[in-house]
Amino acid sequence: MSAEIQEVRDFLAAHHPFDLLPQAVLGNVARSVQIIYARRGTVLMKPGDTVDTLYVVRTGAAETRDPDGHLLARPCEGECFGVRALLRGGVAVNRIEVIEDSLLYTLSADLFQQLRQDHSSFSYFFAAFDGGRIGDAMKVNAKDVDFLSKQVSELLTRAPVTSPPDIHIRQAAQRMRDQRVSCLLITDEQGGLAGILTDRDLRGRVVAEGLDYATPITRVMTPNPRCVQAETLVFDAMLLMSRHNIHHLPVLKDGAVAGCLTTSTVVDSQSASPLYMAKKVHGATEVAQLKAVISQVPLLVEGLASQGASTHGIGHVVSALTDAVAVRLLNLAEARFGPPPVPYAWLAAGSQARQEQTAVSDQDNCVILHDSYDPVAHGPYFKQMMQFVSDGLNECGYVYCPGEMMATTDKWRQPLAVWHDYFRRWIEEPDPKALMLSSIFFDLRLIHGDAGLFEDLHQTVLEKCRKNRIFQAYMATNALTHRPPLGFFRNLVLISGGDHDHTMDLKHNGIVPIVDLARVYALAGGVKAVNTFERLEAAREAKVLSTDGADDLRDALEFISMIRLRHQAARIRGGMHADNYVSPDELSSFDRSHLKAAFGVVKTLQAALASAYQLGRF
Amino acid sequence: MLAKILGPDVSRWVLGWRSPPGPLKDYYRTDTATVDTPYNRVEMLAVDIETTGLDAEKDEIVSIGFVPVIKGRIVLAQAQHHLVRPDCQVGDQAAKVHRLLDDQLQSAAPIAEILPLFLAALRGRFGVAHHALVERGFLSRACQKLWGQKLEVPFLDTLALEHRLMTRRNQSIGDGALKLAACRERYGLPRLRVHDALSDALGCAELLLAQAAHCSGKKPAAMRDLLE
Repeated sequence: MSAEIQEVRDFLAAHHPFDLLPQAVLGNVARSVQIIYARRGTVLMKPGDTVDTLYVVRTGAAETRDPDGHLLARPCEGECFGVRALLRGGVAVNRIEVIEDSLLYTLSADLFQQLRQDHSSFSYFFAAFDGGRIGDAMKVNAKDVDFLSKQVSELLTRAPVTSPPDIHIRQAAQRMRDQRVSCLLITDEQGGLAGILTDRDLRGRVVAEGLDYATPITRVMTPNPRCVQAETLVFDAMLLMSRHNIHHLPVLKDGAVAGCLTTSTVVDSQSASPLYMAKKVHGATEVAQLKAVISQVPLLVEGLASQGASTHGIGHVVSALTDAVAVRLLNLAEARFGPPPVPYAWLAAGSQARQEQTAVSDQDNCVILHDSYDPVAHGPYFKQMMQFVSDGLNECGYVYCPGEMMATTDKWRQPLAVWHDYFRRWIEEPDPKALMLSSIFFDLRLIHGDAGLFEDLHQTVLEKCRKNRIFQAYMATNALTHRPPLGFFRNLVLISGGDHDHTMDLKHNGIVPIVDLARVYALAGGVKAVNTFERLEAAREAKVLSTDGADDLRDALEFISMIRLRHQAARIRGGMHADNYVSPDELSSFDRSHLKAAFGVVKTLQAALASAYQLGRF
Repeated sequence: MLAKILGPDVSRWVLGWRSPPGPLKDYYRTDTATVDTPYNRVEMLAVDIETTGLDAEKDEIVSIGFVPVIKGRIVLAQAQHHLVRPDCQVGDQAAKVHRLLDDQLQSAAPIAEILPLFLAALRGRFGVAHHALVERGFLSRACQKLWGQKLEVPFLDTLALEHRLMTRRNQSIGDGALKLAACRERYGLPRLRVHDALSDALGCAELLLAQAAHCSGKKPAAMRDLLE
């Protein structure tokens, strides 16, 4: 009998999916391992090759590419490869090359199939494994819709608007108007449900029929309507509503009326109600109200994320709310200080401009004033107005920009001619340090005011950038400042020491590099868009970026953002401050490998950019 | 002495001829591949022993682990690990080193039962050990005691090989640089957490594969390149 080697067993036991196997089975698996060593550059399989082993990386790393050369995965320590081939009758589908000297455990195909057959959890792991490009990984993870399995009672936002049955139609309508509801629940003496009266009933049964408004409501209400219990699942309630084409569904709890579910309650709560929030922002008359709405943003984001919304979509929603707050504050300011003496344009910069906010973050903004601006006559007006707006934003949680990139700073509240001069200098006489600080101004979006002012500037800037390759090279250098945390291909390079020990910074080492890359492509291609996804798409169309490059970067951005969002949602749920520092331990090995692939994409495209602009230092 | 005059093959033949019928004779009668064969075409057996001390004449083997490397693959299914009951009491010193308890050893099989298992596994294979002098000395001494003839194995010494490779690369060899763990680290091999004879034999086998891969150019290295 062979001896079991504890090292091997311990290693397997620490990695997915072997940890799912029963102890005794794991021992047998460890015993049947064969070990090989492969140097960097060794091609372990090519499409069409016969494959009779499953590989598990003990140390080192390999790279899987599909027949078109697309990078599928970079399996490293503890991860399997060769799975696809084994799942397809032992014929290799992809090319697998060792990219770092590797010690590999191999398991026979027979054993692999046996384990899949005997252990469903093991088999399940491989069903999701090896799905394809990074994009596919999200489809597996994203659709985690628990909304439908919530109870109806969780969706009820207000107490029911009820009435005893002994009122007449006009009283009912007045009550509905005053309470701003589209339906009235009529209760019996015991508080139970006697009937329902809706807007539609008033239209169809009262107005259209020419009924006297003094008619008792019992004549026009729907008696004993369909209703659900508070414990009913949202899903079942929705089914009921759609099956019977009803828009109002009374909810009972312990025999009493507890509330009314409407189609809009369902829709609103399904997206944690961004429209509802926007409506509240538009109607706010003081900062405190805005603050109350914006404090719901983390919940909104969590809700959207849990329903599988893309981070691209979430970015739009959250940024739109920020826009709404800014517009509202500007409106309030104009009401307070009077109409502006000269036309102006209030612009958002940075992530708000790019519509990529996934949380309430710093404010970055600036103002272009019409050239008829007179500092002496108009200066104080704009200064106090911008102070009001900036203070309001700060109070809502959009804290002051530490770099003072705000319209409250005199330098960033200037007439159009001055802005033209700023950009002319940044573009024609680039200074690396100044550029790093001002790169934020190459992502601008008009939020409020005179569109013509911004258009004029934006057009000129784009034109200048597109033609100036030296400037682009400076921006490219800038875009290489932040690197993905991939050391030597193999491992995620983690922050060591300090508060963020053993983590990686997904923002600065993942998202920022992609945003920076997209900016360079966009400026080189004369692209107007500022949103990173849109920039990548437009850069592809303008042929400054390959289709593969654009696809890979988009997937990488979406994936890294999603991981970050999940991390932040988990922190918020845990009552902690959302940050960007993710520990690899909180990720599944599946996510880890895709994250590595995503970082790999960034690294590859940074290298491509460096060589396109012949940046020697890369 | 014999090997120096007659060459290793003749010497092995003579030793086989002199050995009594049994495991040692069987071992000598099975041919090993020639040293011109590429390393990934031959069979090897990585071995590690734990002893009561360093003197092969006085001290005894208390455990042995071995695992074959067949055509470039370490085959764990054929790995073996045995405790060996020493004839005398184990010194406190060695017990501390190996964490083997006396009573554990007292219930183990004697070397006379274990050595044939090892020799059977060694048949047709090159030996591999880190600092092979110890394995060579103790195993040979044990064979001599049991069957009157020494054990002569073409041993690939991963320590000696590493020394040559480092010298060739002009690397300075500091204190402890040739220890198994240090050698493994140089090739990016994982740190061993368990230290028993079998784990160390496996550790040595892995090191050998790494060294051999690094000695290979387009063609895999021949055994000759690794042995000398």
